[in-house]
Amino acid sequence: MSAEKKDYLLVDENGQGKPDKPWIFRTYAGHTNAKASNELYRKNLSKGQTGLSIAFDLPTQCGYSSDHEVSRPEIGKVGVPINSLEDFRILFDQIPIEEMNTSMTINGTSMWLLSLYVALAEERGVPLEKLNGTTQNDLIKEYLARGTYIYPPKDSMKIIVDMYEYCLHNIPKWNPSNICSYHLQEAGATPVQELSFALATAIAVLDAIKERNCFTEDEFEQCVGRISFFVNAGIRFVEEMCKMRAFTEMWEEITKERYGVKNAKYRVFRYGVQVNSLGLTEEQPENNAWRILIEALGVTLSRNARCRALQLPAWNEALSLPRPWDQQWSLRLQQVLAYETDLLEYPDIFEGSKVIEGKVKALKEQAKLEIQKILDMGGALVAIENGYMKSQLVKSQTERLSKINSNELVIVGKNKWTDGIKSPLMTDSDGGIFKVDPKSAEQTLGVLAEAKSRRNAELAKKSLEELKQAAKDGKNLMPYSIACAKALVTTGEWADALREVYGEYNPPTGVDGQKLFLSDDKVATVRGKVEAFTKAHGHRPKIVVGKPGLDGHSNGAEMIAVSAKHSGFDVIYSGIRLSPEEIVQSAVEENANVIGLSILSGSHKEIAKHLFDELAHYKANIPVVIGGIIPESDFEELKKMGIREIFTPKDYDLMSIMNKIIDIISVEPALV
Amino acid sequence: MMDSTETLSQLVSEALLGEKFPIAKIISKIETENNLTFRESLFNEIQSQKPNAKDGLTIGITGTPGAGKSSLLGELCRLFLDFAPVKKMAIVAIDPSSNISGGSILGDRTRVTLPRRDTRIYFRSQPSQLELGGLNPYTYHVIRFLRKIFDYVFIETVGIGQNEISVSLISDISFLVMQPLGGDQVQFMKSGIMEVPEAFIINKCDEESLANSSYYMLESTLEFIKDILPDQSLPPIFKTSVVKKKGIEELLNFILTYSKRKDKNIETITQLMQWIRNEYGRFGIGIWKQLESNTWNQAVRLNPLGGIHKLSYELEETKFLSLIQNKIAQNDKN
Repeated sequence: MSAEKKDYLLVDENGQGKPDKPWIFRTYAGHTNAKASNELYRKNLSKGQTGLSIAFDLPTQCGYSSDHEVSRPEIGKVGVPINSLEDFRILFDQIPIEEMNTSMTINGTSMWLLSLYVALAEERGVPLEKLNGTTQNDLIKEYLARGTYIYPPKDSMKIIVDMYEYCLHNIPKWNPSNICSYHLQEAGATPVQELSFALATAIAVLDAIKERNCFTEDEFEQCVGRISFFVNAGIRFVEEMCKMRAFTEMWEEITKERYGVKNAKYRVFRYGVQVNSLGLTEEQPENNAWRILIEALGVTLSRNARCRALQLPAWNEALSLPRPWDQQWSLRLQQVLAYETDLLEYPDIFEGSKVIEGKVKALKEQAKLEIQKILDMGGALVAIENGYMKSQLVKSQTERLSKINSNELVIVGKNKWTDGIKSPLMTDSDGGIFKVDPKSAEQTLGVLAEAKSRRNAELAKKSLEELKQAAKDGKNLMPYSIACAKALVTTGEWADALREVYGEYNPPTGVDGQKLFLSDDKVATVRGKVEAFTKAHGHRPKIVVGKPGLDGHSNGAEMIAVSAKHSGFDVIYSGIRLSPEEIVQSAVEENANVIGLSILSGSHKEIAKHLFDELAHYKANIPVVIGGIIPESDFEELKKMGIREIFTPKDYDLMSIMNKIIDIISVEPALV
Repeated sequence: MMDSTETLSQLVSEALLGEKFPIAKIISKIETENNLTFRESLFNEIQSQKPNAKDGLTIGITGTPGAGKSSLLGELCRLFLDFAPVKKMAIVAIDPSSNISGGSILGDRTRVTLPRRDTRIYFRSQPSQLELGGLNPYTYHVIRFLRKIFDYVFIETVGIGQNEISVSLISDISFLVMQPLGGDQVQFMKSGIMEVPEAFIINKCDEESLANSSYYMLESTLEFIKDILPDQSLPPIFKTSVVKKKGIEELLNFILTYSKRKDKNIETITQLMQWIRNEYGRFGIGIWKQLESNTWNQAVRLNPLGGIHKLSYELEETKFLSLIQNKIAQNDKN
């Protein structure tokens, strides 16, 4: 090979062609129970997956054991339930954890899950320094977008710093936290918001570590090197690629200038990616396959914007849980990209491009301004607590939805070229989607009951008391949590102990003062009907927007709240994690004209039933509508229970939804 | 639409027992336009069913947005359940309506987890309906109704500056909630608002030193006002923190043992005048002045604590309405 040719190819020191190693292929997976998930992981690994990405169910994420009342409808639905060390033994059965790169998507209870992992390793005799992976443990996305937080921001930050301190000394290859801007984009964030909110959060984490002053200068540098990011890649893939380049450059600058990190290795922006699910459509879901491919290109095509690890959603995720085959199809896409194409053979192919450089510069400038604004406010924690970030996101999201509604933003198959032939992929006997067997929860509960009966009750109690005391004293909680793990303490017990000390957090909802940018004929029609209602009844229509259960994806509920107000309704919205009792109580006390439920976790049938029982108790005949990811096969049963209307992601037009709702309540007899 | 007497009587008897849905339905009726006839029947019905119905203490809670009023109320509710096991409380929270659509977002429902189906706490939201003064046009009547059922009725309003005054007019005691070093003090001093509330709360006192410095700042501000009104003693100031669970027990205890009550006759007259001003402007007030010169009304004015009899708002409203209709008819003739 001649010397001239080396410029445009990646070569080793001998001038031989040496392509980059592929990124880590992951599939975000877990469902039913520890046993079923273990089988799934082993199958996925045998298919060429190179890392594990564990999805936990909502009770595990929110710090409830499966036998808690609130857990019942959610066990094993969106991930695997983990109650105690016993479940981890089953989950990692025959999987060599010392060889794995394990990513755990967990936040409020991240310290607990890491403690279980450590306890498992020690039990197996695996040296802790061999453990490799990430606990997500992020603040911004939890408080702003995903909603599985437990404790107030300051206490959550304390837990994160505890984990950094423990990991650096004991599990040096573990990433104790991971700044996750992924859900910000899902909640409508612009690239500038993603850049600035994520980096401001990273700054908050590093500042908190600095403040504790638990590391030497060298150790602090290593610690900076352990900060990783989890980013979203959307459909505007050129802009998204530029966003990744901006991230890389800005992180380099921040770590160098703000924290004086000397070792270049520790200034590298390390990140994993899951491509965008927000843009996936329920209409013509097969189009999602192309969207996923294009989104993957943004974070793989150029070397300077190539992720460390990638996980792709399945084409049918807007419908329900994907089947194993659907996940396999997504994995194959990654393998085709990495192994069949030539993209790993070249240095950065966009270096020197004026377009890319210009765009990166523009993004950086805007993001810097926004970061400065947040820092001036007192940093990311303050911007979370005072509701600034949340309201900014709700604003971006309403703008995005207004654009889809007005066709300013084209979404193929949704608001343009909507006629098409139905996909043959959907015609299989399972309807093209996966459903968790409701009976599988019994197995989880059985393991939990057995673990509890078998454990040394005194020891469990003692280790929980010690954990509480340590929390009160402000000590590092990691060793106490590991002791709890070994004593077979349960997830709910661990989280409750800390709830007692820290309390539970209720963040601002971000919907106050939000406006929709809609003023077309549809709005006029709905407002006309609202006025007619007001005249007939003597007061404005009142809607209770309820977000029941542990599912914290509140965007849909927030959008409905904002659009109802835009239409002239009086809206009661109190945020997430309400019980059906609380929702019904609001509706009864407020004498609401309608209850609108938003449920994305698949627990709609159980929750609807509970809600109607409660309405019956008050003899309150208040109409109920429901929105969320609800498969058509459940429609009939829901309607039979009394649900008046069902909205799914197909119903993106907010004013059509409001129109249906006002029609339903307008024909109701006037309330006494 | 009016209810048949039978339905109303049934609703009232259930409401007086504390049943939530009947209470809610009655409030909706009160919140309906042109509700005078309904109110007359409602209060007559209550009077006939339970002549000695409760007369709950009304507590106004106001302050700038972000002062943490809702969380404070949430914590108060939680403690209330423990501290006052046989008492009942209601909260009316008022939020602003949109100027454009008229709609509103009422997100202030407290997040207190009550025992399932508990009837000891009742929470109701109200849109401000673009009224200045932070109160909804029907708030007063809703409060009057709730006082018959609950021992304590809280009204929470958001307001800046002068707007807080309205809530104090219909409360036995009103609190102004502030944040430590929020800069509120100066603003309030300018607007004269500091003279209105009976008590002050510095909320979010999570940090001792900041809390104390704010306390002393407020105290000296109030002392300054005290010079203007020399016969008044310094109003109490509470330092509270929901996060640290501090000061809230003291606050609750103060409310539970509060004995001073405002004269409901004066409250009635104030509300009536406010309504007349809104509906008929200066013309209406002129006519009211004629009515006020009537001897019985003078007597009420002169005997603020005893009064000759309790004024019935509905009766006074009816009297005024017929008076003003006569006037209008006369004007038309002329």
